[in-house]
Amino acid sequence: MNTNEHTETPVQPLGFNHRDSPCETMFRRLDAEGRPAFIGYLPYGFPDPDASLDALHTMVGHGVDAVEIGLPYSDPVMDGPVIQAASQIALGAGERIAGVFRAVEAVAEAGGVPLVMSYWNLVFHYGVERFARDFANAGGAGLITPDLIPDEAGEWIEASDRHGLDRVFLVSPDSADDRLATVARDSRGFVYAAARMGVTGERSTLSASPEQLVARTRQAGARRVCVGIGVSTAEQAAKVGAYADGVIVGSALVHTLLADDGRSPRDTAEGLRLLAAKSDELAAGVRAARSR
Amino acid sequence: MSVLDELVSGAVEDAKTREARVSLDQVREQAAQAPAPIDAIRWLRRADAVPVIAEIKRASPSKGHLADIPDPAALARDYESGGASAISCLTEGRRFLGSLDDFDRVRAAVHIPLLRKDFIATDYQVWESRAHGADMVLLIVAALDDDRLGHLIDLTHELGMVALVETHTREEIARARRAGAKVIGINARNLKDLSVDVDKYRELAGDLPDDVIRVAESGVFGAVEVEDYARAGADAVLVGEGVATADDHTLAVRRLVAAGERVKASETTPLSRHEGPYFGRFGGRYVPEALITALDELERVYEEAKADPAFHQELMTLQQRYVGRPSPLTEAPRFAARIGEKVGITPRVFLKREDLNHTGAHKINNALGQALLVKRMGKTRVIAETGAGQHGVATATVCAMLGLKCRIYMGQIDARRQALNVARMRMLGAEVVEVTLGDRILKDAINEALRDWVTNVKDTHYLLGTVAGPHPFPSMVRDFQKIIGEEAAEQLRDWYGIDHPDAVCACVGGGSNAIGVMNAFLDDPRVRLYGYEAGGKGPASGRHAVRFAPGTGQLGMFQGAKSYVLENSEGQTLDTYSISAGLDYASVGPEHAWLKEIGRVTYDWATDEEAMDAFRDLSQTEGIIPAIESSHALAGAYKAAADLKERGYEHPVMIVNVSGRGDKDMATAGKWFGYLTDEQAAALDVTGAHGSQVA
Repeated sequence: MNTNEHTETPVQPLGFNHRDSPCETMFRRLDAEGRPAFIGYLPYGFPDPDASLDALHTMVGHGVDAVEIGLPYSDPVMDGPVIQAASQIALGAGERIAGVFRAVEAVAEAGGVPLVMSYWNLVFHYGVERFARDFANAGGAGLITPDLIPDEAGEWIEASDRHGLDRVFLVSPDSADDRLATVARDSRGFVYAAARMGVTGERSTLSASPEQLVARTRQAGARRVCVGIGVSTAEQAAKVGAYADGVIVGSALVHTLLADDGRSPRDTAEGLRLLAAKSDELAAGVRAARSR
Repeated sequence: MSVLDELVSGAVEDAKTREARVSLDQVREQAAQAPAPIDAIRWLRRADAVPVIAEIKRASPSKGHLADIPDPAALARDYESGGASAISCLTEGRRFLGSLDDFDRVRAAVHIPLLRKDFIATDYQVWESRAHGADMVLLIVAALDDDRLGHLIDLTHELGMVALVETHTREEIARARRAGAKVIGINARNLKDLSVDVDKYRELAGDLPDDVIRVAESGVFGAVEVEDYARAGADAVLVGEGVATADDHTLAVRRLVAAGERVKASETTPLSRHEGPYFGRFGGRYVPEALITALDELERVYEEAKADPAFHQELMTLQQRYVGRPSPLTEAPRFAARIGEKVGITPRVFLKREDLNHTGAHKINNALGQALLVKRMGKTRVIAETGAGQHGVATATVCAMLGLKCRIYMGQIDARRQALNVARMRMLGAEVVEVTLGDRILKDAINEALRDWVTNVKDTHYLLGTVAGPHPFPSMVRDFQKIIGEEAAEQLRDWYGIDHPDAVCACVGGGSNAIGVMNAFLDDPRVRLYGYEAGGKGPASGRHAVRFAPGTGQLGMFQGAKSYVLENSEGQTLDTYSISAGLDYASVGPEHAWLKEIGRVTYDWATDEEAMDAFRDLSQTEGIIPAIESSHALAGAYKAAADLKERGYEHPVMIVNVSGRGDKDMATAGKWFGYLTDEQAAALDVTGAHGSQVA
């Protein structure tokens, strides 16, 4: 009981923030439009900090509903060659975590829902509570954590509860039912279903497993399930969008900003043009998902 | 008048009003007829958990309105089903909006200890609490003088209840103790940011005797504070807002209970048998969800194997007939004399000869154990990372023997400096993939192996080579390596008639050979343990792989575990450097991080130069050419001897783990010592058989 006069102070730590889930709000809006969400990924700072803000604007301007702003990491174990290359380019171009909040603001200004995707060590190192505060202040919606399972997420669950941020954990095709239930229970906003076992990257075909996974994840208690990893064409987006709440595209968008050698950035103007076209193409697929 | 004085006088006044309706005698009679109190003491201290006292609170003077709580009984049941050990119910009505009616409803709803939280200053309030079925009452030291406090504690105890005695300062704790408090609540908020101030808590709670139960009483909101308080020594926590205002009250309590259980499990002893996932604050599973199924399966299969005598039999038979175990414990008198000359004491030095194992290093112990598990899991493909090549060779070897498909990932830089090992792995039928991403060293090989594993986890086992990575690897690899120390202890006794060593030295990269040789001695305080990291060109140079020295590694998550990590100000992994590929790693096994934190092992480093001097010393005094990795332990032996001298030892008995042999290092050594001309050295570089590039 905080009754001792020596300990009384007007400043109090934050309690639970009971604001609505920003992603859920978005899904409801899209439900009314009868379509799933188009969620696009781009690493912040790629190809350089300023150009990445232009790229984020471009994506939102061309049909991306929510942006997963990636934080480049030196050891991205969940990513394939395209995102690895983009991350290295960003780090080489002087990417700094503190700058990501500018990107969050940029996405929000453009009318998109700003999500951040980060390997956990970066957030931990920045300070979990500090990150949550700065992220929420910038207008952030939620955080996708590819290498943080709910079992290890005590500090993040607490910080996100205090700041009203969404928590997006992942499930994969071989996740057992009890794991799906754990992830569904601790997620807020949506659950990220990996379309296949493996790292990020484009694939010409998708197996049937994501549809089953989405159904199993819903059965386990998740209200919203989005599918990513491997989706790269309008046709795939339409197929996935027919049963998922959202379609997540990463490498195919990042690819447009990479030169043909796959290791260096493309000319920025050219890259942005390709990015806009790819976004349009995928957005059309997403918008057609439930009308076929 | 202070806020507290006001609250107390209001509460006493309200009690007087009640007393006018129900006299003290009547309340005594009701108390006599109330169901017997539950012994709260037994609920508030547990070896395997941090009991949570969950509070029913609508408002407080400092935070104002918190929650409506129309149905306190339902809330109490939610708390109970979430695993709360006790319920605290506010009955103060003026500022906290509680009532005895709330209390009665809660009492009827739950069967765990119930604390009446009010501003109690009179006998009437204590009797009244018991009459309403309380098992505990709150007494606030700051509100009571010594006589009153002592009297109310005594009365509470006489009535079979327990007093939770709230304190804020050292002086108040002393008063509470003098007054006979058995359960002391300690409030240790940092006044600046109101975070839990663990140091303050430690300072306040530190010298309380063990028979006093310490309850962390303020500022507990979520799992973070529970963990902080528990690590600072709290037996139990009291949580109000963090559970009362949660969307899901049961889940909120369950999370706190889980956090407490985790802390307790992370600190179990004896050290030698401590099990993961957590080693103190370290360890865990910081991996993609996609790997959890495989890790769970591995853990399950390993637990089954551990309990199966046939598994141990098979492993031991192979250890003896294939690996050549036990490896000898060789006395090294001429090397000892050289240490003696340098340091000025006369040690006896014994070398644990893992270099004499098949494939030339300790790595085979673990590779063999895990490969047998691969068979039990029914998987057909094995992948592994390697730095110096020793683990890759050991893995390729056991895969050849057991007919398993094998792919080894090796950083390009390591592959170049260990070209002969690349050739050996290929000779053994393994595919060697040279990793050209990132810094092209051990950590990058692990990243690539993890990517492979995530993709092919169904038929593939990742045979991780050290006591790092996600649970169960740190515990499991330790178990496969602890034979090193167990043999050494026995050999020291049986062969040399020495009961125990005074010191054990090992090199620490990921840390598997060090854990292996130290495990048998962890619980023997007579044995000093020394671990040596790769100092490269010295910690100040920035060209090293030292994680433990001040200003080097930081707490972080890396490749599956929480431990110390070499990272920059942004949390990006730093480039590491060592002349020894096997120690060139940005993080360190979580058990080592814990052993450092609790002070059980002394960690220091040896530079390239010190290691190479020791490499030469052992070669020329004993005719044993050690691996450059092991040479860091040998260089460390000089430092350990100096430390032992300082501590008063004159003839210490030292065991040094020679984790591997140095044949693979002859090109590096030849260059270092000038035995090879530049041309010869360059020729060796060129003829190195390199692995195929990874796309």
